[in-house]
Amino acid sequence: MLKQPRQTGDEIWKTRIDKISAELFTLTYGSVVAQLLKDHENYIEVNKQLDKMGYNIGVKLIEDFLAKSGTNKCGDFRETADTIAKIGFKIFLNVIPTIANFSADSKEFSLILEDNPLAEFVELPENAVGELWYSNILCGVLRGALEMVQMQVEVFFVSDILRGDDVTELRVKLVKYLEEEVPAGED
Amino acid sequence: MPFDVICIAVIGKTNNPLYIKNCSRNAAYPDLKCHYIAHTAIDLVEEKISTTKQADQYLGLLYALEELAVFGYITNTRVKFIIVTSLTDAAIKDQEMKALFRKIHNAYVALVSNPFWDPDAQRVISSPNFDRAIAQVAAGSSS
Repeated sequence: MLKQPRQTGDEIWKTRIDKISAELFTLTYGSVVAQLLKDHENYIEVNKQLDKMGYNIGVKLIEDFLAKSGTNKCGDFRETADTIAKIGFKIFLNVIPTIANFSADSKEFSLILEDNPLAEFVELPENAVGELWYSNILCGVLRGALEMVQMQVEVFFVSDILRGDDVTELRVKLVKYLEEEVPAGED
Repeated sequence: MPFDVICIAVIGKTNNPLYIKNCSRNAAYPDLKCHYIAHTAIDLVEEKISTTKQADQYLGLLYALEELAVFGYITNTRVKFIIVTSLTDAAIKDQEMKALFRKIHNAYVALVSNPFWDPDAQRVISSPNFDRAIAQVAAGSSS
């Protein structure tokens, strides 16, 4: 697409996406987390489970994303970051995170979410603050989706508003490209 | 004429106290009095909903003490909100009270939507967001 990613994202959101109630979505995710907590009672374990669930979602979601957005292969990791933020997040969550802190070798970047639709109305119980990453499913989704387009990445939360930090920040680290392709655009 | 909100109380469906907050300035009224007023209010709420067939959530002025007025509001899930205000010369408009109750109701809905809040635990509400919202309601009316 020669159009700007932000325009593409907006357009797809307006025309080709079915919408559901935001409260229903938030409450559903909330009850998933609450149930996981009851089942495992260990916050680290719940983080892992959310990541696994996210991975399974991501692996399938990427097909939907590619079909709806019709974007071409991203030239370099920076374009990937752009596409994720302006089209991916926009289509599925209707938020556009800010891309920040790109590392010098262009292999890491941060996504800063100003408002997180998953965490509307949520207040963490006291002993969860410091251990539970409430929206950890997002890490799994990104990991799964990018793996299907031949990128192995590590995704993890750096800070979360629910924990009392100022912003919700996700860090995405490129580990390697999965095929022996020459990664184009090595600036 | 602005009035002062003295106390805001939230009573659960089994008449258990969920949240009683003494908002009077300078702690003019002791907490115990707020608890006592809320308790008496429950009886009046029950009476009102059993006698009148109306399905209205706003119950209006429940009763008046020497210089206090007590207003009630009940949700369809039988959760009751009580507001105690100081009596002033001008009659307090229903519209204003309804607006206050709506704000409390919204704060309550936000609380219930928290996946970590267990409604059956019957414990007192301790959420800081809810505290803040109620404090705002109390402060907003006495401007």
